[in-house]
Amino acid sequence: MSGGIDSPVALHYLLRQGHEMLTVHMDNRPFTDDSPLTKVLDHLTVLRERYHQKIPMYVLPHGSTQITLMRNTDRHVGCVLCRRFMWRSAERVAEREGASFLATGESLGQVASQTLSNMRSATAAVDLPIVRPLIGFDKQEIEAVAKSIGTYEISTRPGLCCQAVPDRPATKSSLLQIGREEERIDVEEILDSVLRNAVVM
Amino acid sequence: MTYSTLRLCSGRAAYEAVPYPRLSLDLGRVRRQLELEGVPVTDARVMLIARFEREVTIARDGRLLIKSTDATEADRLFARVRRLVEANVVPTRDS
Repeated sequence: MSGGIDSPVALHYLLRQGHEMLTVHMDNRPFTDDSPLTKVLDHLTVLRERYHQKIPMYVLPHGSTQITLMRNTDRHVGCVLCRRFMWRSAERVAEREGASFLATGESLGQVASQTLSNMRSATAAVDLPIVRPLIGFDKQEIEAVAKSIGTYEISTRPGLCCQAVPDRPATKSSLLQIGREEERIDVEEILDSVLRNAVVM
Repeated sequence: MTYSTLRLCSGRAAYEAVPYPRLSLDLGRVRRQLELEGVPVTDARVMLIARFEREVTIARDGRLLIKSTDATEADRLFARVRRLVEANVVPTRDS
């Protein structure tokens, strides 16, 4: 859950299908402000009420991971590396909670990290199946659903975009290149630290 | 060096200033000067995040983001950071 328009809509579809869901929010401060977290909490309030589900949320620190990536890896592929950590972190939470799949609000080609090439590079970091309820939706369709379920107004409140996004993020990436970049950092140590500092809300 | 006007960023949660042309800053020197002034700084190599009364992000190319929606406060912080930035531009072949 990011605080944006897409993730609560994706969650809505999975809840509507009757899945028991838990959520993960990657806390990107200081590369953003408090607004994503407050938006996600408000999204969950709306969806918890609508579906009468507890929907626990893991808040995982991500800012320190971003700093490590910026200091040690090629900025050009920063978005892919960032997403690989998000996926891995979510998978760790899923393993801890006994969840059987991961889900996101991604749809193809909306932003730099969502090209097919980058999606492949990012998701190769995890083994669990990934569900993308919005993959073929366009933005207008997603916004219409968001308005109908009451999450759109929350998503469109003022908020900072991620400042860690490089000027010209790569739209193509290879696993070979990504692997070389990750050799420069200690992936397991970062993940252990992220999970150690998780807060469940 | 010219900064465009300080303006509200697209997310409407901060003010940003973009220099034209883009600069090349010695962020190490900017960091040390901020620390001498008692301002805590996070150094992410390609950008600094300085914790004044509001956080200010200083990118290596001179872009500034001031996390405030108060125009007066943003103006004040901009003037303070701009001084530091202008003193730490690395000369390039084009300049």
